[in-house]
Amino acid sequence: MIAYDTGERAVHEAGHGDHLCLTFTDDAEQRRVVTAYLLGGLRRGERVMYFADRNEPEQVLDWLRRAGTDPAPALADGRLTVTTADDSYLAEGPFDPDAMVAALHQEVADSLRAGHTGFRVSGEMGWALRDTPGAERLGEYETKVNEVFAGRPASAICQYDARHFDPAALHDFDRRHSGSVEQEPLYSSSTLRLVPSFRDGQPSLRVIGEVDHHCAPALAGALEGALDRPGDIVVDMSGLQFIDLAGVRALVRTAERLPAGRHLHVVDLEPMLGHVLHVVGWDQVPTLTVTVREVPA
Amino acid sequence: MTARTTTDPVDPAAPRPHTGPAPLLTHQALLYDGDEAFLSSTVPFCLDGLDADDAVLAVTTEANIALLRQALDDAAREVEFVDAKDWYRTPGHTLGEYHRYVDRHTAHGRHRRVRVIGEPVWHGRDALEMFEWTRYESAVNLAFAGCPAWVVCPYDTRTLPEDVVAGARRTHPELVEGEPARTSEHYAAPADRHDSWRRPLEPVPADGEPTVTDFGTDLSALRAFVTRAAGTLGVHGEQARRLVFAVNEVATNALRHGGGRGQVTLRRSGHRVVCDVTDPGDLPGPDWYLGYLPPDAGQRDGHGLWAVRQLCDLVEVDAVPGRTTVRLHLDLPPSSAPGR
Repeated sequence: MIAYDTGERAVHEAGHGDHLCLTFTDDAEQRRVVTAYLLGGLRRGERVMYFADRNEPEQVLDWLRRAGTDPAPALADGRLTVTTADDSYLAEGPFDPDAMVAALHQEVADSLRAGHTGFRVSGEMGWALRDTPGAERLGEYETKVNEVFAGRPASAICQYDARHFDPAALHDFDRRHSGSVEQEPLYSSSTLRLVPSFRDGQPSLRVIGEVDHHCAPALAGALEGALDRPGDIVVDMSGLQFIDLAGVRALVRTAERLPAGRHLHVVDLEPMLGHVLHVVGWDQVPTLTVTVREVPA
Repeated sequence: MTARTTTDPVDPAAPRPHTGPAPLLTHQALLYDGDEAFLSSTVPFCLDGLDADDAVLAVTTEANIALLRQALDDAAREVEFVDAKDWYRTPGHTLGEYHRYVDRHTAHGRHRRVRVIGEPVWHGRDALEMFEWTRYESAVNLAFAGCPAWVVCPYDTRTLPEDVVAGARRTHPELVEGEPARTSEHYAAPADRHDSWRRPLEPVPADGEPTVTDFGTDLSALRAFVTRAAGTLGVHGEQARRLVFAVNEVATNALRHGGGRGQVTLRRSGHRVVCDVTDPGDLPGPDWYLGYLPPDAGQRDGHGLWAVRQLCDLVEVDAVPGRTTVRLHLDLPPSSAPGR
């Protein structure tokens, strides 16, 4: 496996101590993460809570059924609770971060006392976009709630729909979490992973590991997919360990195919590779921007 | 001497559409034996160029820059001056810089032609460097063959060794020794049928045992090997990343053209680390100047060695039937010691 810690965690690796942010752009991605997270908790003997917002609770339960797990027994004996934010923590008045943190502390304690191996909670945060009283205190909550999970047998995933929250808000919420949920890789091998992600609240493609003659076509393929979506393409190289000229060429060719007005941003590139782009003249491509990172000598 | 007839300042940023076919490369050696001889050629060369709205670049010694500035007077402002010490760093780097200069100034019709005074640095070079810088002068004839560039390379016959001046006569199609320019009877084209510029690789006097490894398609393993071996020989950080990138590119070519396998040898030799990448393939064409010719922008291949030449201090390419070797030289920083 590629050892590179960025605070991004595959959902099946999420566990005790985590307070993760899921930024998603499509329903299938949300469903994949939620299903894996809830079922993972039940399998480990944890108490599991879910606060729906845009989805109906029944919809979420249906995801579990379709994944082959009947939720009825867990609902009946209290191992699983699926409700809505409006019917629970927003029912009593304005959203109050301190009250919410206290309530979660209580839930963790109750779960452990009842013999569960831990506690996990996930919530859809779309209510913050409505005129919900106290919604402006959501950021404060996301910071304060870390103490509920840090160092304890408890975890959380907060879900933000990137189609509705603006990039600046996404970035602000994301950085208040202890980490984020990694999206499903577009490509994964022993030396390279290509993972859709968010950087500063903008969709990006993270290139993690090594790109050489074996897998340059995989990179070209992932970029091909990005061409079809509107807007700029951000390629995050903070996890890149090596890229050869064929890989760099794949980036350049993609940039060259963008219509005027759209750009491909290569960010966090090692300076030596910025120099390579210069010597082969590819830094002259108008639709390509490159940001190199500071590397200690 | 032609005097400037216009006093309008030339705005280098203003695009000027030019019509008519652009002139192609003129590559001349100016053999000079004093300030007078230097200036009597270079001053009109610059002034005529400015009159014709050519871009003019003068890369020469500090002393010659001072002379030329003074002689050009006001016109000096429109000439770009660069100290040769900063410009002539490695043959690959310098060729790349000239290529980018020509591109920058002739693209989109900004100038019809560039004029370059380019005085290579010969002092302080060892035999290997002298030979490669001579080959560089020869490669210029091919690399810029299709470019609208007039390049005059001054050679100071007072101070340069005889063989360097003899080299200039062989690498420049035209000589300027007083007026007018004449054809050099000693000129040997880069790809002539006598193979004038091919030279087999010389044995490398290694400090200690060379490190050798065979490679196949798993270049990840090769890169890890090169990183480790380079570190042992005193190559670290950015320079190590350059070497690994270069070896990987050459090895990728070797896999494609050389039957899927090859061998890498690393050793330290004096102030250099010398790395051979060998494969059992045959090069389809002439060898020694591979990577000296700028790749066509739209081309899929050909960027590899062009990049490698600009990342390493010296690169030699040698092919004999059944074996192709690309030899990469890196100059170690002066303070570097093995094993650090």
